[in-house]
Amino acid sequence: MNKIKKALSVLAVSGMAFASILGCSGSGGSSSSGDILDAEEAAQDTTPITIQYWHSHAEAQLEGLDYMLAEFHKKYPHITVEPVFQGAYVDLHKKLQAAVAAKEVPAVTNVEVSVLPNFADSGVFADLTPYIERDQVDLNDFSQGMLQAYAYNGKQYGLPLIVSTSVFIYNKTLLDELGVEPPQTWDDIEAYNQKVALKEGGQTTRYAFSVPGWDTWYYDPWISNGGGSILNEDMTASTLDQPDSLRWIQNFYKWLQDGSLHMGFGKGASGDMRTMFLEGKIAMVQHTSAVIKTYLESANFEVGVSFIPGDKERKSHIGGAGIVLMEGADAREKEAGWKFIEFMTSAEHNINWAEKVGYLPTRKSAIESEEGKQYFERQPQYRTVFEHFDDVAPRLQHPAYPEFSEKYKEVVGEMILNGKDPTSLMPEAVKQINDILSDY
Amino acid sequence: MTGTEGPGAATNIKRRPKAWEYMKDFAFALPALAMLLIFIYYPLVNSFYLSFTNWNMTRPNKEFIGLDNYEKLLTGDTFYKVLGITFTYTVFDVLLTLGIGLMLALLFNVTSRFFNFMRSVIFMPHYISMVIVSMVFLWIFNSQYGLMNELLKFLGLEPVDWLTNPKTALWVLIVVSVWKGVGFAMIIFIAGLRGIPLEYYEASSIDGASKWTQFRKITLPLLSPITLFLVVTNFISSMQVFQSVDVMTNGGPLESTKAMVYWIYEMAFAEFRTGRASALIIMFFIMIVLLTVLQMYVSRKKSITKGRFISKCLHP
Repeated sequence: MNKIKKALSVLAVSGMAFASILGCSGSGGSSSSGDILDAEEAAQDTTPITIQYWHSHAEAQLEGLDYMLAEFHKKYPHITVEPVFQGAYVDLHKKLQAAVAAKEVPAVTNVEVSVLPNFADSGVFADLTPYIERDQVDLNDFSQGMLQAYAYNGKQYGLPLIVSTSVFIYNKTLLDELGVEPPQTWDDIEAYNQKVALKEGGQTTRYAFSVPGWDTWYYDPWISNGGGSILNEDMTASTLDQPDSLRWIQNFYKWLQDGSLHMGFGKGASGDMRTMFLEGKIAMVQHTSAVIKTYLESANFEVGVSFIPGDKERKSHIGGAGIVLMEGADAREKEAGWKFIEFMTSAEHNINWAEKVGYLPTRKSAIESEEGKQYFERQPQYRTVFEHFDDVAPRLQHPAYPEFSEKYKEVVGEMILNGKDPTSLMPEAVKQINDILSDY
Repeated sequence: MTGTEGPGAATNIKRRPKAWEYMKDFAFALPALAMLLIFIYYPLVNSFYLSFTNWNMTRPNKEFIGLDNYEKLLTGDTFYKVLGITFTYTVFDVLLTLGIGLMLALLFNVTSRFFNFMRSVIFMPHYISMVIVSMVFLWIFNSQYGLMNELLKFLGLEPVDWLTNPKTALWVLIVVSVWKGVGFAMIIFIAGLRGIPLEYYEASSIDGASKWTQFRKITLPLLSPITLFLVVTNFISSMQVFQSVDVMTNGGPLESTKAMVYWIYEMAFAEFRTGRASALIIMFFIMIVLLTVLQMYVSRKKSITKGRFISKCLHP
């Protein structure tokens, strides 16, 4: 028995040694976050280098990506960018977390806009400010809201790359027939509902409009447009149970009750909403601008696009992903990575990139250029979005957002699925949110 | 290891030091054990350590916070809610899979070309990856254009929002799991049935026992080792349900399908709470181990008291 024990301990030790060898071999990417090269040095260094670009560009965007990569390689022949598809945003983030823990990071990556604070908070992303200042990138040329979405605690951690915003997509043929315009303010909505919603024996056969309940991204701007807010100024407590912060959901509740508003909830609700819109059962849907193209292609009626209506203010939130530099990459990788980021977000290729991937241009100069004008001629539906170019606002930035947003989403779900009055449920949600906030 | 203990081995290699023999035996097991150590035991031990920290996987240093994670989990409502969902799922999944599996086994325990074919058809879902199964059922249970609702409409019934209704979503997940697992249970049960000597049935029918009595007094008790095996394996895999939740519901609607492993995943990778998720892993791990031991204990006791002669027959 003793010998077995002895042998076991030998085994255990050798096993651990093996594990530690494996563990050590993975620590290649040492970080040397010293000062960056000056402009001249950066231009002169042409020793070949290969960097990785982790992304979430789906199939439909690959053509655009290939084009950009080829153009980039023409401009900087010594830099080879290896694109690595890491799945949807959630999967990409998961792999990024693992990469950071293993200290083996790519130079450049995508990041979905809402989790930027989580990574930036831990010092995972490099501050781009020194590079921006050195190469004199004109930040004023970007849509300010889109730019701010990738800044956190006063540092610019990334630049907008894949930008969408939620808009109202409407059945223009139908609305023209009825002689109504999509509502521009909250005050217009009642009258719009009256004219558009169709009811037969207490059952709605055609909803006036639909607001997705499955993702807080869609109704967060409604909260602030109504004069409310999710958190207080110093982000220590939730204000969702305050009268102004309840206006949005009380309105939704009223319209749900009178059968003019449709709200989907849960997985698959997005597809259902789309089907209902295309079948004429919903006259207007709030959806991401990224799917305008899909609607245009599949509708057998004319499709219009309108910015979401406002009240105290009129904003819509930014969605999609940005492009960021990893702090853990070494100095030369970072230099090459920055060049790639600058190129991908440059005004020169902005329109081309946006059109190829079906997302929004981010640069004012690009929109105003000759190329930009042609773009709007080809895609007239996007014009209404760009009339509100600076009203595409950043989302609430807080590392606990992914966690606490579930709490008021649940209230929305209870309202949609079980017909409960949100005003009575919100205080409990606020309590839970404050509980989560107390950990930060 | 057993080689040196057996009588044959002892005479053959008497002269060699025993320690050397042990080392040699271990050397053969080393690759497999190293894999276990690296991919199972090391992560487990590390999770245990992480469960006392507030690490978020991206922060460079881990702050030790003692039992804080455990306290937060045990004092919150979600833990109990998720546990309830996981148990409901597990109990019905295991009962239905084994119940239907046994019925199918009794039905198809006949060797003929047709029944052989039927057995392979029923066993087929076992081969299909859970992700694919989930994708297919996602379509079948779609509320707008799903097959299930088309069927209901054809029968003149009201369509149901299967996956977007908190009352039905968990049941859809159970149906999917049962559909996939029932074939395996059937095959194992058939193997068990074929191990029961026919003499018992002949003898009991001479004594005038009805089919039902035979089933209760002979088939069920003699199948108990097989049943135990199926209960334990099904129980463990049901408790760990993840893929179908991830593909079909994302834990929703209104957290009605938020099973334990999905919650762990969500906490670690969507809410960036690696430390707390590790604490949950440890608690869940201990729970499964305890419940499995309990099951083994209870059913072993039962099968010994119920049929002493049976165990003699099985191991003469």
